[in-house]
Amino acid sequence: MSFLRLLLPLFVFTVLSAFTAVKAAEQSQPLPDGPGKDLLMSKCFQCHSEGMWKDQRLDRRGWEAALYRMIGRGALWTEDEINTMASYLGTALPPREAKASK
Amino acid sequence: MRELVARYLSQSISRRGFLKGLTQAGLSVAAAQSILQSLDQVAHAQEARRAAPEGVKLFQGKGAEAFAEQLIASGVKYVFGNSASEDAHFYDALVDRPQLKYVLTPHEGPGAAMAAGYVKASGEPAIVMQAGFVGLANAIGQMFNAFKEQTPLVFYSYRTDQTRRSGRDGFEEVANQEQVVQPITKYSWLARRADMIPETVRRAFKAAWTAPYGPAYASWHADMNDENVRTEIIAHEKVDPRTRVRPNPKEVERAAKLLVEAKTPVMIVGDELYKAKAVDKAVKLAELLGMSVTQVRQMFANFPESHPLWVGTIPSSRVDSLTYPKDADVVINVGNKLQHNTPAPIVARSAKFIDLRNDNWSMGNVITTEAPLFADVAYGLDDLIAAVEGVMTPALRAKAKERADETRKFTEQARVLRAQIVKNPDWNASPLLADRLTYEVAQFAEKDAIVVHEAGSIGFHSFNFNPLGGRELFFYYGAHLGSGVGTAAGVKLARPNQQVICLVGDGSFIFGPTALWNMARLELPVITIVYNNHAYSGPHSRAINNSPGGRMVQTGKFMHDYLGNPDMNMASIAKGFGVDGEVVAAPGQLKEALARAKRATQDGKPYLIDAQVRRTGVGWADAPWTPPIRIAQERTRKV
Repeated sequence: MSFLRLLLPLFVFTVLSAFTAVKAAEQSQPLPDGPGKDLLMSKCFQCHSEGMWKDQRLDRRGWEAALYRMIGRGALWTEDEINTMASYLGTALPPREAKASK
Repeated sequence: MRELVARYLSQSISRRGFLKGLTQAGLSVAAAQSILQSLDQVAHAQEARRAAPEGVKLFQGKGAEAFAEQLIASGVKYVFGNSASEDAHFYDALVDRPQLKYVLTPHEGPGAAMAAGYVKASGEPAIVMQAGFVGLANAIGQMFNAFKEQTPLVFYSYRTDQTRRSGRDGFEEVANQEQVVQPITKYSWLARRADMIPETVRRAFKAAWTAPYGPAYASWHADMNDENVRTEIIAHEKVDPRTRVRPNPKEVERAAKLLVEAKTPVMIVGDELYKAKAVDKAVKLAELLGMSVTQVRQMFANFPESHPLWVGTIPSSRVDSLTYPKDADVVINVGNKLQHNTPAPIVARSAKFIDLRNDNWSMGNVITTEAPLFADVAYGLDDLIAAVEGVMTPALRAKAKERADETRKFTEQARVLRAQIVKNPDWNASPLLADRLTYEVAQFAEKDAIVVHEAGSIGFHSFNFNPLGGRELFFYYGAHLGSGVGTAAGVKLARPNQQVICLVGDGSFIFGPTALWNMARLELPVITIVYNNHAYSGPHSRAINNSPGGRMVQTGKFMHDYLGNPDMNMASIAKGFGVDGEVVAAPGQLKEALARAKRATQDGKPYLIDAQVRRTGVGWADAPWTPPIRIAQERTRKV
């Protein structure tokens, strides 16, 4: 068995640990300020916990689709409100790869 | 001996007791039996002379025949059961009693769900029977649902052990069988003697059908079915306490005063309205006061959803989470059980609360009540409407109209906002959006369709239910999964002239598909639509909500929720039960499939659509991780 193969599990463990540490840190970070944050707080948090929101990572289009799905669950939002919240969420909670590349 | 004869003829001792008495007095068994035979003729003649009161019938025969006779007298038309050898004499009794129709169900769970669906849709009694404790164990899940949903369903199963060998840990024997179900029944009883079978059965029906409704359980030792009995059969109306009660008049006055003086009154509606057929009275009270109407989780839609005073269901288990109106100062609940899933009361302490229900056991448990109206909701609404009309002044009527106009503005705007659901950028996606599937089925459904809904994790919209002659909803409240298909079969049995559509999640469906076979055999043309995302979506989301950012989310390793790999094909399962069906994944395919389903049902055949829907929500990968349990590497022999 080569030295590299011996090191591989340690490498994978280190990378995974770092990744999970990043995710855990994300949970404790407050949502960033920005246009749409207040609207989001007033419209969504009566049903959802903040922690669950932070586990979701999507681009703007993905967030827009998620918000439209909430209409089927009783949410009453205008198109402008949905667009504002989708833009905010696409910036504040983008897919992890996209954020890491910045 | 004279005393023994007198006691036997007056029915104060049993045949067995009489024989025992004679042999103890020194007679041989043959002599004792001969005396008994001659006395039976005397007893018959006596009974024939005695004029039985109306609704009471004297019966002599086997215990199982007495059971069947009492079911008929209790108003039962359908018996739902699973094969049970110890009920042989009951099956014998059914042969000559065609008015009792036996529906063989291949599993006790969906069988009980079918019986419950029939009871809910017909308002008529039914019984569901199981083979001893082993069958009962399968039915307990649906017994739990009936308990939570307050469905008056009667269960029966014999004790496998016989009277002379019980308590010896015999085959399938469980000691105190009837006590196992005690916490989830209104009545559970073991008949001690064969001649008490009818009494036990009619008490079970009486308990189940006395408000608030709920399940009841009757049992007896299997050998009693074969025992000869002389006993009474009594019609249900002779034992029914008819607990439709009117509310306390003083509380009605208090409630009326609170309502007319309220600035922002809100009405919560519930299932007692549907059961009492009193939805029109709730509409009248709401219109009289210009009062907004809402509902928290129930089985039925209890108010017309297109009515201008209908402000939608409560989104988050609290009246103050409604978008409109805000700051309700008086809340009246009409017939809702008010299931509390959060520590906070559904009605905040700041609002004055009126509770109109027939379930006084749970009134006041969580929410403080200004005016408790313990009553049948139909009578209660009659009295309350009269009291409100009595104190309404022109000024109060003007205020009510103003409030109604404001609410109408909201509901019109809400209708426009809800219609935006079609703007979802994934609307045309394949696999289907669950919302698209729901929307298309809502466009397809008949105006008076009955929708049985056991797809709990989807958003439910677009149907515009109206219990006053429009579409009706049969949702679930108990959440023991696997009820949907059976319920739909039972509903169609009760309402053969209404379209019945069963919407069911794949997770729920796979708990109880056997009722499809009943649909095929009984020619019950139900359209079943499976929302198949190959996952338990509800538990997935709720687990993340309970452990946000936890190890599952961090690693993508969700142990408990992915049902794919391999994917289940529900249309193939349906075909195995004799129900035609197909798999669809795209919106265009769906419309064609619905058209085929309609043609099939018009021809009297059930149909199933396995609709592939996308997994949405937090943390789903395209190919979700599955626990690495693979036995292939452990196999050393190719067997």
